[in-house]
Amino acid sequence: MMKSFSQRFLHNPLVIVGLSWLTLVLLVAVLADVLAPANPFAIVGKPFLPPAGDFLLGTDSLGRDVLGGLIHGARTTLLIAVLSTLAAVAFGALVGAVAGYYGRWIDDVLMRLTEFFQTIPSFLFALVLIAILSPSAMNLVIAIATVSWPPIARVVRGEVLSVKSREFVRAAIVAGQRDSAILISQVLPNTLSPLIVTGSLLVATAILVESALSFLGLGAPNQMSWGFMIGAGRSFMREAWWLVTVPGIVILLTVLSINLVGEGLNDALNPRLADA
Amino acid sequence: MLIIRRLAAVSAGLLAAAVLASAPASAQKPGGTLVQITQPEPPNLAPYISTSGPIGQVTAKVFDGLLEYGFDLKPVPSLAESFEVTPDGKTITFKLRQNAKFHDGKPFTSADVRFTFMDVLKKVHPRGIATFRELTAVETPDPYTAIFKLEKAAPYMLMAFSGYESPVLPQHVYGSGDIKTHANANIPVGTGPFRFVEWRRGEFVRLDKNKDYWRAGLPYLDRIVVRFIGDSSTRTAALEKGEAHVAGFGAIPYNDVKKLAALPSVEVTTKGYEMVSPIVELLLNTKHAPLDNQKVRQALAYAIDRQFVIDNVWFGYGKPAAGPISSNFAPSGMFEAGKDYNAADRVARANALLDEAGFPKKADGFRFELVHDLTPYGEEWQRFGEAVQQQLAQVGVKVTLRYEDVAKWLKRVYTDYDYDISSNFLYNLADPVLGVHRSFHSDRIRPGTVFVNGARWSSPETDKIMDQATVEPDPAKRGALYRELIKQTSEASPVIYVLELQFPTLVNKQFKNVITSPLGIYGNYATAYRE
Repeated sequence: MMKSFSQRFLHNPLVIVGLSWLTLVLLVAVLADVLAPANPFAIVGKPFLPPAGDFLLGTDSLGRDVLGGLIHGARTTLLIAVLSTLAAVAFGALVGAVAGYYGRWIDDVLMRLTEFFQTIPSFLFALVLIAILSPSAMNLVIAIATVSWPPIARVVRGEVLSVKSREFVRAAIVAGQRDSAILISQVLPNTLSPLIVTGSLLVATAILVESALSFLGLGAPNQMSWGFMIGAGRSFMREAWWLVTVPGIVILLTVLSINLVGEGLNDALNPRLADA
Repeated sequence: MLIIRRLAAVSAGLLAAAVLASAPASAQKPGGTLVQITQPEPPNLAPYISTSGPIGQVTAKVFDGLLEYGFDLKPVPSLAESFEVTPDGKTITFKLRQNAKFHDGKPFTSADVRFTFMDVLKKVHPRGIATFRELTAVETPDPYTAIFKLEKAAPYMLMAFSGYESPVLPQHVYGSGDIKTHANANIPVGTGPFRFVEWRRGEFVRLDKNKDYWRAGLPYLDRIVVRFIGDSSTRTAALEKGEAHVAGFGAIPYNDVKKLAALPSVEVTTKGYEMVSPIVELLLNTKHAPLDNQKVRQALAYAIDRQFVIDNVWFGYGKPAAGPISSNFAPSGMFEAGKDYNAADRVARANALLDEAGFPKKADGFRFELVHDLTPYGEEWQRFGEAVQQQLAQVGVKVTLRYEDVAKWLKRVYTDYDYDISSNFLYNLADPVLGVHRSFHSDRIRPGTVFVNGARWSSPETDKIMDQATVEPDPAKRGALYRELIKQTSEASPVIYVLELQFPTLVNKQFKNVITSPLGIYGNYATAYRE
């Protein structure tokens, strides 16, 4: 007998672990100004104070509070990751849906375009975009979205191809619905489950790309982020281990949690795969 | 015509040479290979056409200059045994050494001097074009006399005769063909203590002892190998293991310097940059409100905690700057501390000035907002920007940081002037005419030319002082003019002087006498030896 979606999803212990961590991170991000009211860039103490002294996680090379940085970094990192993923999903879904639904030359043009983007290594592409656009939060969202929409477009196109020949779509055509209405109300809802899974995993990739860009000094210069903290601390790995270790672990846990939740979603939305 | 003999300076140099020669022979035995790390690899070995830093680190060993300089920036003899300047400063007569030979065996004569300065340096050397602007002719009455004729007095020119800045070239080698694309651009031939042997791209340049060097018994070393190692941690490891012996000019990251300095085998010195004298500064756009207000500019200068920046951004390698001219110029009388922006009550003063200027703190605690364009040269500049941002926040100035690539940043600051504050570091070089005037003189407001007067500061008073100092042959009067310039510019504060940057040079203790001049690793290592 088939269990319901929520049963399958929430009874997976790995999903619970992932969800708990993500909830914590989300709460911290939302309540950042309450939990750490000071500006995360403020110089609050002596540089290189080790953890568990005056500051729970120590201070960095300029004397900034590492814990405060982590709290405010959660907000920046999540915001950039989620926004860029939403943009990528919206654009990718549009391209994939149009290509799959109309087929023929439109499909050819859009898919060649998608492949063109796919052939450029995504991180290097993001690096070039940021170098051209100059680093800021908005430009990071644009760059990450630009390099991450092609897989979404391909997934959606595949789904649309299989859905569009079904009877209910034909019925809608016969009933005289407009193409856009058919796409939005009939076709896209049926591509949702792979879209959600791919999209949730994209958030993890976006966090990694944002962190890597910040690590290279190309992050948003006025927003504290986890990658920025690692980038600023990497020169002091020998003298001050906590500067890279702490944000590194936080990034690891967050990306892992998103993957666990994503896998869980996949299993729950495709029960035949999970039960097999 | 009355002639001032500059024998004081020259004989001091000869004395130094004599002291060196009379030191116990056992301490300075010949032999040994010194490995220098130069970063990055030079694009070519043609110092007469490019001032790219790494080139000189190699070629200063191959080419001699007419003069060299002591740590007090006074000239000492080299290819010129002595020189005389007329009181009007318009004629400089060099007596040349008679026993110097180029590495191909041909003798060095005054014809080579004329060729070098008139046909090459004055025409194609990036700095030489300006330095030798007033030079109209080099007369060669005999093979060992070269007379420089000047349109106007140019006292700063006397600082530009080192083998690094003005390498003397053999006319019979470089005289034929186009100097800009010369076949010997990567096969340098000079009179220096070391002759060029081989350049293996991406790996090293090998220089061997010049056995016919005009200074008898020198050089001591058999060979210099200049290695190019792209990865900074590998460079550090090479010094740590003793595989390489000398590195300077930022080749070793500051935090690794600290680690290497703790080793018994490595010595760290900050000497050898006295003719470079980099000063870290904040450039203010004096045409942008509110930075067009002198009180605001002074307040910002007071707000910067210089010692914090030195200790935490540059790892202690610097000292607070006291004005536009480096304290390295103190021996020549051209230095004096300007307005003391480092005063103990500087934050209170800054706040008071901003209140006076009509920018009270608003409800959010800020008076006004500025954008700070970061120098895109690496992480210390980013840290510097973040520190400045916090320090200005303390006096109620909200700063947003902007980070762009080098080309965009240069265009924004020096072409479009579309900025509020930008950081930078400019070299004072060997004389204020060469390194300081460019920041203030109104004739250096040149859109599109980088590292000039980006603040667009302009005042008839300061222009006049600089014009006078440019042609004033009397060192005492020149010194007085520059001290007045320091006073006026630090009062007007178009540029905030933060620190005199000190580059650490690391030398393996087996080797002695490596850093012997204000040009440091741009020196020729003739007297360096291995213990």
